[in-house]
Amino acid sequence: METDIEELRAKYLKKDFDVKEFPIIAEKTIRFAELCGETADRFLDPNHKDFQASPTFVGSLAGSRLLPSDFPRFGIGMDAGKGIECFSPVIPGSVLTGKTHLHDIYAKTGRSGRMIFIITRIEFYNSERHLANSDSRIVIAEKQNGR
Amino acid sequence: MILDLHTHSVKSDDGRAKVENYCQWIKAKEIPIDGFVLTEHRQYDFESDYSSLEKKYNLLILKGSEVETEYGHVLIFGVTKMLTTKLDFSRIDLTLRDVIHWSKACSAVAVPCHPGRPKVGMFAHTDRLGIPEGVEIVETLNGGSRDEEDKVAIENARSLEYKGIGGSDSHIVSHIGRCATIFTEEIRSMEVLVKELKKGNFEPISLRNRLK
Amino acid sequence: MADKTIKDVEFGEELPVFVPDTSLKRASVFASLVGWEGPRFSDHEKAREEGLPGAMVPGILNQGYLTAMIHQWAPNSTLISIDTIFRAPVMADEEHTMKAIVTDIDEEAQIVELDLTLANEKNETRVLGTARIKIAS
Repeated sequence: METDIEELRAKYLKKDFDVKEFPIIAEKTIRFAELCGETADRFLDPNHKDFQASPTFVGSLAGSRLLPSDFPRFGIGMDAGKGIECFSPVIPGSVLTGKTHLHDIYAKTGRSGRMIFIITRIEFYNSERHLANSDSRIVIAEKQNGR
Repeated sequence: MILDLHTHSVKSDDGRAKVENYCQWIKAKEIPIDGFVLTEHRQYDFESDYSSLEKKYNLLILKGSEVETEYGHVLIFGVTKMLTTKLDFSRIDLTLRDVIHWSKACSAVAVPCHPGRPKVGMFAHTDRLGIPEGVEIVETLNGGSRDEEDKVAIENARSLEYKGIGGSDSHIVSHIGRCATIFTEEIRSMEVLVKELKKGNFEPISLRNRLK
Repeated sequence: MADKTIKDVEFGEELPVFVPDTSLKRASVFASLVGWEGPRFSDHEKAREEGLPGAMVPGILNQGYLTAMIHQWAPNSTLISIDTIFRAPVMADEEHTMKAIVTDIDEEAQIVELDLTLANEKNETRVLGTARIKIAS
């Protein structure tokens, strides 16, 4: 059945469908930074005055679900991209609240046929401020043509 | 006159390049092109005016579109308001027949792009759907091609006697000018570009080696 | 690499080439750390049984490499945003290279923009993107 993108957009965009807490553990942020090839002390040394998670660490934090529970299932999603926006450092030892919503939905054709692109955004907050956004771009092969 | 006929800016969903940065890049890297055409995905950008950038950088900046059909993606040069009322550019299920018909009717030129590419290239569909009527030009050199995609495009274009154009298909600044099209005549407007495309006075060129 | 100021940065400047560790072992350890267990990042044969061309390097590890590359070039820079488009899988155990190029400098705002690419041995772009960083004057 043809997926109506406008209908999906109207129903799901910009509406939080998941809230989850994320304790930020120093051992994990350090290991993450090491594996990514970071060499700066502020990412690796817990005693550094600016000790913080490397900026893309929030991209590894997954909410309880990637899509709303009633979102139609029309294929298997593939990872098509990742975007991170950093507003303030994420400090190990803190607890973040991640609020998830669908940020964009659109269709296009690609090397793998007709696709629906869904951008899921997690907004991360501590008790004081909005620290970061993590966008996951999922692409799902669609079976039939559509807008 | 050398023009990159296939580029995307931040106006496209997957474009990450600002138009002024394209201009700066062309000048800073001395890329031997005289201008480029912004062919944004599934839309025509009526609003943007790049004339001040054209003057500042002495480059020709034109606007076209890249639309989606059952034969894959198609560039359109010479888009008019009338054409956008005849074709809903946002659809991903346009028919190539309609795109060619309405482009011709509105004095525009439709050019299937990256035709050697799986799924989104015209020659991936000709065995199943047949050779489409009305195609005269295809993009035989595309800066985003992998493996043998350009070779498939060139060989098929040759056997079907299509003319070929080149375009970088750039989505980021540093990819502009990887492929382009050389014209025998001076081009200063979309009207003249369309006229020259119809006359067939052009050849595709690859500038990839120069940019390495 | 020494700290940079915005005035040290040149338009069109290429960052030193960075060869990421795309070994299956690194991909597997990283995937396990972030809770992405499963053969697609740890076992070529089983990944192929799942219909994939082989085991892959997780996208966020590639994004992490690109960020580390920026930090190695400008240790005092602060990442404002990074946006990566995964155009094709980055296959584990295949050599890849990363490039980053300065494509915009806003001296007043102290912001630099970079094009980012990750390509395989055939020079096919597998990941592309952009980053915005802040570098003090």
